[in-house]
Amino acid sequence: MSKKSEKDSDLKGTLYSVGFVGLFILISWFMAFYLFVDRF
Amino acid sequence: MTTIKEKAKDLIKVDRRDSKLALAHIYVAFIALFIGGLCGLLQVLVRSGKFTLPWGIGYYQILTIHGVLLGLILTTYFILGFQIAAMSRTSGTFTNKQRLIGWIGFWVMTAGTVAASIMVLLNEASVLYTFYAPLQAHWIFYVGMALVVVGSWITGIAQIMKYVEWRKVNPGQPSPLLSFMVIVNMAMWLICSLGVAVEVVFQLIPWSLGWVDKVDVLLSRTLFWYFGHPLVYFWLLPAYMVWYVIIPKIIGGKIFSDALARLSFMLFLLFSIPVGFHHQLTEPGIDSFWKFLQVILTMMVVIPSLLTAFSMFASFELRGRQLGGKGLYGWFKKLPWKDARFTVPFIGMAAFIPAGAGGIINASYQMNQLIHNTIWVTGHFHLTLATTVVLTFFGAAYWLIPHLTGRVLTKQMNKLAIIQAIIWSVGMTIMSGAMHIVGLMGAPRRSDFSTYGGAQQATEWIPYQVAQAVGGTILFVGIILVLYIVANLLWFAPKGETEFPIGEVSEHAEKTPMWLENWKIWLTICIALILFAYTVPIIDIIQNAPPGSKGYKLW
Ligand code: HEM
Ligand SMILES: [Cu+2]
Repeated sequence: MSKKSEKDSDLKGTLYSVGFVGLFILISWFMAFYLFVDRF
Repeated sequence: MTTIKEKAKDLIKVDRRDSKLALAHIYVAFIALFIGGLCGLLQVLVRSGKFTLPWGIGYYQILTIHGVLLGLILTTYFILGFQIAAMSRTSGTFTNKQRLIGWIGFWVMTAGTVAASIMVLLNEASVLYTFYAPLQAHWIFYVGMALVVVGSWITGIAQIMKYVEWRKVNPGQPSPLLSFMVIVNMAMWLICSLGVAVEVVFQLIPWSLGWVDKVDVLLSRTLFWYFGHPLVYFWLLPAYMVWYVIIPKIIGGKIFSDALARLSFMLFLLFSIPVGFHHQLTEPGIDSFWKFLQVILTMMVVIPSLLTAFSMFASFELRGRQLGGKGLYGWFKKLPWKDARFTVPFIGMAAFIPAGAGGIINASYQMNQLIHNTIWVTGHFHLTLATTVVLTFFGAAYWLIPHLTGRVLTKQMNKLAIIQAIIWSVGMTIMSGAMHIVGLMGAPRRSDFSTYGGAQQATEWIPYQVAQAVGGTILFVGIILVLYIVANLLWFAPKGETEFPIGEVSEHAEKTPMWLENWKIWLTICIALILFAYTVPIIDIIQNAPPGSKGYKLW
């Protein structure tokens, strides 16, 4: 692996982790939204 | 004359006289944790339906003690103690005058705490920690709460004086990051607690004394929540201080970016205050346009929150890779999991993911109806406050207390601290999980056990209430353990030197621009946003006031 590509992948885990957090928020929100639409 | 080098060395340890002041606050905080925690245990037992309180003690009396001691006293005292130590460590030892002001603040707060507690114990003030009118407490309770707020202002002023002094001695330089953060939190506290002070002094005290017989409930609740939301950020920002500044040092890494940390704190200052209506979304008498506007402002906190998440992951990943972690998540395993100072706050961070997701649901205007006044809300803030914030404070106490007392955290205590955090997570997952689910099934918060005349719906809640009791009992074990560790660190641990860890900024980070510390700009925007969000609706609330209410004592 070249030095450059190593540097590029430096914060990959961070990117995925923050993406996961965002996704988790969206999924929970839509589940609640579904309940809301169902009830009100 | 001290040389600069000597001076720098002096700064590394908090001066003994400042330590005493910080420790005084921490003592009160942990006493509050014990009494409040005991009440929490009683609450879950009562709500399971299998236990009734002896000696005619009321459920709401216990709940008031729990809310006041844990939500208001534990938090405020721990935070002020931590911040005093943080200022002393990063901006230098307090002058005698500053320290004296700090002590005056401490005793004013403590006098208020004692006065309010006595009234609650006498069953004269079972009005819960939000003291909503028209429930009416004895006037001494309100005076006590007012003294707590005023005392916190006085202590806060000592901290601000230290900061001003530092800035004067170091012109043109950004202040130490931790000091800066303390001052942002104090600025937010001063601005927001003005609302509750006005409520208590001009509405509740005259009314409870009988000088006026009616109170404007809508106005009082609006003033309360102008304070109540920033209150939760007043709890959270010290936890963020630990995450941004302390944790990178503990894991042997660097602060990802000083500028990013400052920017996110300033954004919290801006978007924490003009948003109180999100607690009043189901409240009649507030125009829906202004509720909507404050909902939008509320959602803006997602920005600094995700900045924080990013910054945390980044400093973990950079460090983990430095230690040889490979692949997408190899770095994660390399983190110092055996160090309680890291692991305990880390669990707190993890809890903030579901906590934040829940918060966004709560604040989504119409969707608030789904959860409003259900025990989902209690489940929510036992994640934010009673897990994220509290575990971070425990994790901080494990180095802060020994630093202040000149002792060390032994290996056994470190291990016990990790066990404590695991017990807390297990108990909280069960209790808070049950609360979230049964809340969605309609179970109310702030209610004594009832079968509601055998109603079908209420019968379905009971298994979850039993689960709450199981989780709550496990949590209480967690409280005993943390108190055991804290007692050890205060009085019994071996003498020695403990570091007050302060992270350094990564050498790759951009230089911090000075506009981030330009208070004129930020305070102007902050006040403009508050005026924008509140002026018209408050005029409206006053002009079209609902009929005033007399006081009620329903307990
Ligand atoms: C042993 C641990 C704990 C247990 C078993 C527990 C249990 C409970 C329960 C069951 C309630 C809601 C009761 C109701 O609405 O009827 C409650 C409310 C509350 N808890 Fe806890 N809790 C614990 C720890 C904490 C901690 C550590 C904090 C904060 C640092 C905290 C802060 C609060 C607050 C502010 C309320 C709201 C009171 C109100 O609605 O007036 N709790 N707790
Ligand atoms: Cu809020």
